[in-house]
Amino acid sequence: MSGDAARLALPLARLSTGASEATNLYRELRKPLLRYLVCLGLSSDEAQDVVQDAFLLLHRHLASGGSQENIRGWLFRVAHNQARNRQNRYDRNFSAPSDAEMGGISHEATPERAVLEKEKFQQLGKAIRQLTASERDCLLLRASGLRYREIGEVLGIATSTVNDTVDRAIKKLAEKCNV
Amino acid sequence: MCDFSGKLIAWLDHELAAEEAAEVERHLVICAECRTGADAYKRVSVEFDAYCDAAMTSNARRGAPRWAAVACAAGAVAALVTLFLAIPRTRVDPPAFHLQPAMVATSPALVSAEVPTSVSPAIRRVHRRRANAPVQIQDANATPEQNQNAYLPPDGPMIQIAFPADEMFPPGAVPEGMHFVADVTIAADGSAERLRLRPRLAGFERRTTLP
Repeated sequence: MSGDAARLALPLARLSTGASEATNLYRELRKPLLRYLVCLGLSSDEAQDVVQDAFLLLHRHLASGGSQENIRGWLFRVAHNQARNRQNRYDRNFSAPSDAEMGGISHEATPERAVLEKEKFQQLGKAIRQLTASERDCLLLRASGLRYREIGEVLGIATSTVNDTVDRAIKKLAEKCNV
Repeated sequence: MCDFSGKLIAWLDHELAAEEAAEVERHLVICAECRTGADAYKRVSVEFDAYCDAAMTSNARRGAPRWAAVACAAGAVAALVTLFLAIPRTRVDPPAFHLQPAMVATSPALVSAEVPTSVSPAIRRVHRRRANAPVQIQDANATPEQNQNAYLPPDGPMIQIAFPADEMFPPGAVPEGMHFVADVTIAADGSAERLRLRPRLAGFERRTTLP
């Protein structure tokens, strides 16, 4: 994806301030953003489009003198809103890995171990699908490395609500997966 | 249920204030139930992370949808049928010029056209007689009389390699009996100069009118 980086680096380089930071931000956040969007249910291509759009909007936001506070949360919020707009059109859900990927999780050599790992993974997938959309979103953003305050900003909810939602979601998963 | 159980996940996420975090840590030393809980929540978090990674890898590998491969195969079949029906099949005599034994012996292209031993067993090399084929790779030691079909090509020697369709497409994506033929043109230095991939239907080959 160096081509993407080059395309994006050009307009960002015109920024009078923080050009290298913007490029670093792209390098740092592109993969977590893609993973978040794919897990929300977007296809790989759609996720790439949304990430491109989000960074172009970031460029416009910064060029027009927008706030440079919590850019990470800002990017995830833009990507989240765009993903939700697309999902409303197509009505998709949390993306699940294929059987091959589930089998590939285990690095153990024994087939018995691989089967056990796969079953465990399927159980986790089922438990994730039983979570509410808000709980899934909170866990996904948490897995992307966002703090509770940033998650609250992305989803438009209070930090204390994020705390309660993450707590509830993790406990549900632990209970259903017998961890 | 311990009073601290509601703070364990926030503590794991470093979301508690320093005083609160220290309080949880002191409690964990004396409470086995909370220690077990904290371990379980940590494991679930790690597994959730791995699940997301697997979902992303899986999505990227899926790439183009399955119908795209089927549509490509259907298009190739339709094009083949159209060509077969539209093009008049006439007998074409090969050029009169025969390859001289000396030329065969010195041609690096013909020498290098031997299939290397490292080629996968799934790849079969086939010799097919084509009116417009530049050259047929045959026994380099054969005399011109034995080697009736050998003649010099207009744009360099060529070998053909047949690939079973299942090697390139998912099972069931390509109609049964279909395979692909790669025309490889060998350069003077023995390297592959040009590669052209053509779809073929097994049933059509028997009906050829070529010599």
